[in-house]
Amino acid sequence: MLDFVGRGHRTCDGVSRRTFLKVGSLALGGLSLPGLLRLRAQTKEKGTPRRSVILLWLAGGPSHIDMYDLKPNAPIEVRGEFKPVRTNVPGIQISEHLPRQARILDRLAVVRSAYHTNAGHGMGSQWMLTGYQPTIEVNDNIYPSCGSVVAKRKGANEPGLPAYVNLPHALNLGKAAYLGASYNPFAPDHDPNLDNFQVRNLRLPGQIDAKRLGRRRELLGELDKLRRDIDTRGDLEGLDTFYRDGLEMVTNRRAQKAFDIHKESPKLRDQYGRHVLGQCCLLARRLVEAGVTFVTIQAGGGWDTHTVNFQQLKNILLPKYDQALTALVSDLFDRGLQDEVLVMTMGEFGRTPRINPQAGRDHWPGAMSIVYAGGGLKMGQVIGTTNANAEYPTSKPATPGCVLSTMYHVLGIDWKHVFHDQANRPLPILNEGEPIKELI
Amino acid sequence: MRNASRWRARLFSALILCACGAVATAGELSVLPRKVELTDAYAGRQLLVSGGGQDRTRAARYASADPNVARVDEYGYVTAVGDGSTRILIRSGHDTASVEVTVRGCRQGRAVDFKTEIVPLLSKFGCNAGGCHGKASGQNGFKLSLFGFDAAFDHEAIAREARGRRIFPAAPAQSLLLIKATGRVPHGGGKRLAEDGEEYKLIRRWIEAGAPASSPGAAHVVRLHVSPADAILQRGQEQQLAVLAEYSDGSRRDVTRQAEYFSNLDVVALVDRDGLVATTQQSGEAAIMARYLGHVAVFRAISPHGKPLERIADFTPNNYVDERAVEKWKKLGLKPSPLADDATFLRRVTIDLCGRLPTVDEARAFLADPRADRRARLIDRLLDSADYPAYFAMRWGTILRNSNLAGSERAAYAFHNWIKDMIARNRPYDEFVRGIVAAAGEWQDAPAINWYWQMRDDPLHQVTADTAQVFLGVRLQCARCHHHPYERWSQDDYYGLAGFFTRLGRKSFGEPPPYFASSSVTTGERNPLTGKTPEPKYLDGPAPTFTPEDDPRHALVDWMAKPENPFFARVLVNRLWGHFLGRGLSHEVDDLRDSNPPANPELLDALAKDFVKHKFDVKHVIRTIVNSQVYQLSSVPTPANKDDRQNFARFYARRLIAEVLFDAVNQATGTRAGGFGGVSGSARAVDLPHEGFYSYFLDTFDRPRRVTGCECERSSGATLAQVLLLANSDEVEGRIRYHEGRLARLLKEKKSTKEIIVELYLAAYARLPSKAEREKTTAYVERQQDRSQAFEDLLWVILNSKEFLFNH
Repeated sequence: MLDFVGRGHRTCDGVSRRTFLKVGSLALGGLSLPGLLRLRAQTKEKGTPRRSVILLWLAGGPSHIDMYDLKPNAPIEVRGEFKPVRTNVPGIQISEHLPRQARILDRLAVVRSAYHTNAGHGMGSQWMLTGYQPTIEVNDNIYPSCGSVVAKRKGANEPGLPAYVNLPHALNLGKAAYLGASYNPFAPDHDPNLDNFQVRNLRLPGQIDAKRLGRRRELLGELDKLRRDIDTRGDLEGLDTFYRDGLEMVTNRRAQKAFDIHKESPKLRDQYGRHVLGQCCLLARRLVEAGVTFVTIQAGGGWDTHTVNFQQLKNILLPKYDQALTALVSDLFDRGLQDEVLVMTMGEFGRTPRINPQAGRDHWPGAMSIVYAGGGLKMGQVIGTTNANAEYPTSKPATPGCVLSTMYHVLGIDWKHVFHDQANRPLPILNEGEPIKELI
Repeated sequence: MRNASRWRARLFSALILCACGAVATAGELSVLPRKVELTDAYAGRQLLVSGGGQDRTRAARYASADPNVARVDEYGYVTAVGDGSTRILIRSGHDTASVEVTVRGCRQGRAVDFKTEIVPLLSKFGCNAGGCHGKASGQNGFKLSLFGFDAAFDHEAIAREARGRRIFPAAPAQSLLLIKATGRVPHGGGKRLAEDGEEYKLIRRWIEAGAPASSPGAAHVVRLHVSPADAILQRGQEQQLAVLAEYSDGSRRDVTRQAEYFSNLDVVALVDRDGLVATTQQSGEAAIMARYLGHVAVFRAISPHGKPLERIADFTPNNYVDERAVEKWKKLGLKPSPLADDATFLRRVTIDLCGRLPTVDEARAFLADPRADRRARLIDRLLDSADYPAYFAMRWGTILRNSNLAGSERAAYAFHNWIKDMIARNRPYDEFVRGIVAAAGEWQDAPAINWYWQMRDDPLHQVTADTAQVFLGVRLQCARCHHHPYERWSQDDYYGLAGFFTRLGRKSFGEPPPYFASSSVTTGERNPLTGKTPEPKYLDGPAPTFTPEDDPRHALVDWMAKPENPFFARVLVNRLWGHFLGRGLSHEVDDLRDSNPPANPELLDALAKDFVKHKFDVKHVIRTIVNSQVYQLSSVPTPANKDDRQNFARFYARRLIAEVLFDAVNQATGTRAGGFGGVSGSARAVDLPHEGFYSYFLDTFDRPRRVTGCECERSSGATLAQVLLLANSDEVEGRIRYHEGRLARLLKEKKSTKEIIVELYLAAYARLPSKAEREKTTAYVERQQDRSQAFEDLLWVILNSKEFLFNH
């Protein structure tokens, strides 16, 4: 009945596509075959233990000099009004407005010496999220985002779930570019902090059950005969995959359950913070536990503090961020997931050490701070230094390639693996950078 | 080495034995140039060797008869060594040839010149690229002009800035420039230069000589030539390029080794750093750009799909569009797909002209129309219908940024209606553009001021960039900060265009406020080159002067609308072509430049000329395009054209855009109302005046946010959210089952199974079901216990089919 050998051509993951289709349609007919699906999920990168990543993306560019790399001895027009405070790791100080993180710094690692050279939001974001410096400013991926790369190389840790999720909305530069639209992120497009939070269109509509959906799909397969090769522009790309995987998600409980944040206790939800960022962090933990491999959280868009930097940071941005990140890291460690899940926080660049006339700080890619937590990496340390004004790294400079290869290392993904773009040009996952060795 | 000299001796004697005398070629081999003159110690010359109709430059072997006068490398590149004359001997297979070389200026010639020798190296090694020292902010305090277009600036940066510590003439090798570039001290850009290389020696010699600047009066590059200009190459074939720079004093210099090369389509042709082009296994056309000191020249590589054709069988041109396409297809050996059938054509042209599906009645009538000219009649009828201006107003509103942001709710309606009205009355395109670019007054009278208002945050620059891109097809914004990387445009050109908008004023009340042409300058922006307010200058044209009473924007539109304007008509016809054919003749539709040549220049020229001749009559151009056979080809590829992506040998199918798809779902299910708040209940998605109407459906299918003037805001490719929405949402399910919808009505009217199936097919696909489809669907309906549920399933299948999602 089931053709495990598969006479169709084999995909690189070792599972025949035809086999998979067959199983997929049977599954919708009422049979469920999680075992085989897991087989597919696991054959992507063989022999690696289960790993996942939660990336907090601080869009706009978080102010490194006011958060993790304070310079109390710098001139007044540089150091700003925030004071450094001691953490629970002797010798390490961070901002007074990150008090919760200061208490768990033994569970964090801060890289102070990350940098690149592009001060535009679009290009800087693309560089940090893909590892490639784009040559033109466009609001779309030229190179695949790291989440898409992970989706392509590893797939989901558990079948019936998307490999790559953005919370709460899809990131502008979180897309798959030449890997194909099927590796674009899935996003609930809804605020998990709302009482009626629900992932859109993940439940079967009223009057439709799995059986009927299966019948419809079978009929669709029989009738939809438009040739695929009429598509010269890539518009069809991903469509078939999503009809297969997406409708699998609908009929399988696992995804519904993973997204159901209401299953968490009110107390834990309070700990994460009753705001979008807090609840996204909590939801991200549920998702990686269930089997999503990569989650990117849009940690607000307000980090672009060109004006009243200090007011914005201490009153709005840092309290929520401090609460959410601390709760997430503590929760993961408490659950013993510190080796399985890696948390990272970063933005597209740091901010100008020199304060501008509007009491703001502008774009500054010359130095930025990246936080890692878990992932089996060495915690409780600060890596790299910057000069007296936090303008440039003075030791252990870390390029975007270093930042991302560290993450790929945790996931067991070979970052030298080569993809081919539309022009069949060979492009390695990263073209520069090695993992930050102090972390490993 | 010994081998080489032995071979040289043998080749030489062979030439003498041959005794052909004066002619520099033997056998089939031909060499360009016939004679090489090198006039200084740094000069070089690329030889181009061909034989048997093919480039053989790389395959040939070379030898210099006197290596003390000139050297030649294995790629056929000749360099000066010492004064005198000699011959370069060339052999390819059994064929031989020789070229005379004269060298002078070596012994008592000039020293290394900064502009001619050093700056090109900065480009060649990527020092002045946009990611490094060439970007506006420089790199670690060292800034060079982007791609070396400003040698004086670069000399200042290298030789004088930082108190001259970048160079050290007393001990040249200790110069920071060389220490960094060779990676002897940490360098963010890594090791760029090898210490034993010719380039290193050249830079060291220049520093030794005191790192002099080029004399200010020295000749500058005025033009770049690449030869050959184009070539038809079989798959997997090579072609060496030679690049000559032409200088202001009329002299020429070979810069093949100094130029940089880029292929616009490396799936078709690749190019290496020495200017060797190689075609891949993929047919098509690629433009190879050579760039030298900010100038560009383009070589076109044509890799045909088959042998050239004498004629295109089974294809009768309907107008000049078809004739120009045929010429191109013949050259490329490309055979078009057959014409699409009537039903496909009806659906296609109704979507493209009106942004909607044909109605069931329209489909029945058209499919029964026996008249030979039914397609042309249909086109005329659709163009005269109210749906044509409605749809095109939406498309224009998108790139004209018509939005309700910043208090513009009413103004956005007014601007939308104004666009629609201009299109409905088919007012000449220049009048339309004048209404926008020269808009002045209150929004009630001049609603197009909303275009300006939506760019209020950065008025001078955004207006300049949008004017260039939308109406001139020039992406000029790069030149705001630096020389355009792929074009001849400089900051002068950018600020020249900006100069037309420096006196635009706006009142301090109202949203949008009234705009007016002020008699004095209203902007604080400066041209960084002059430090002054930008002064008007036409692109590639003169600099006009204006009195304070003039509105320079009117003069700008006058210039655009001149018949000889090279931009204005071309970008509009290209935009229309892209709209109807799924890809511009130049791709992207608003990026017309030398380094991005159109797929069919003759066709683009013909359309532009026709458009000008017909006084910017947009409907005329549209009629010409959609009446062509090219537009009416089937989208199904044949083995002969399956690789075609550029030459329209078949119709390029595409997914319906968000607004059209949403309306199509409503139309097929018989739920006409879009259900948008704040507009009339019957408003469709294509009728919406701006993007501010909430719709999960539209956003999921990539409705543009109207924040750029670029068509590229819409992206392709499917997403999981799209699939879940179409296949598993209350939103679509509710429409299928809608109690006043198409299906409910058909069931209420007690139609037969056959009648219902036929109507669903006509409503969604504008065609009748085939016999097999009728049988399958009938059998399905009969198998189900619940008949209405069975039809709901069928309608779901139709809405989720590719045939429905696509305009094909």
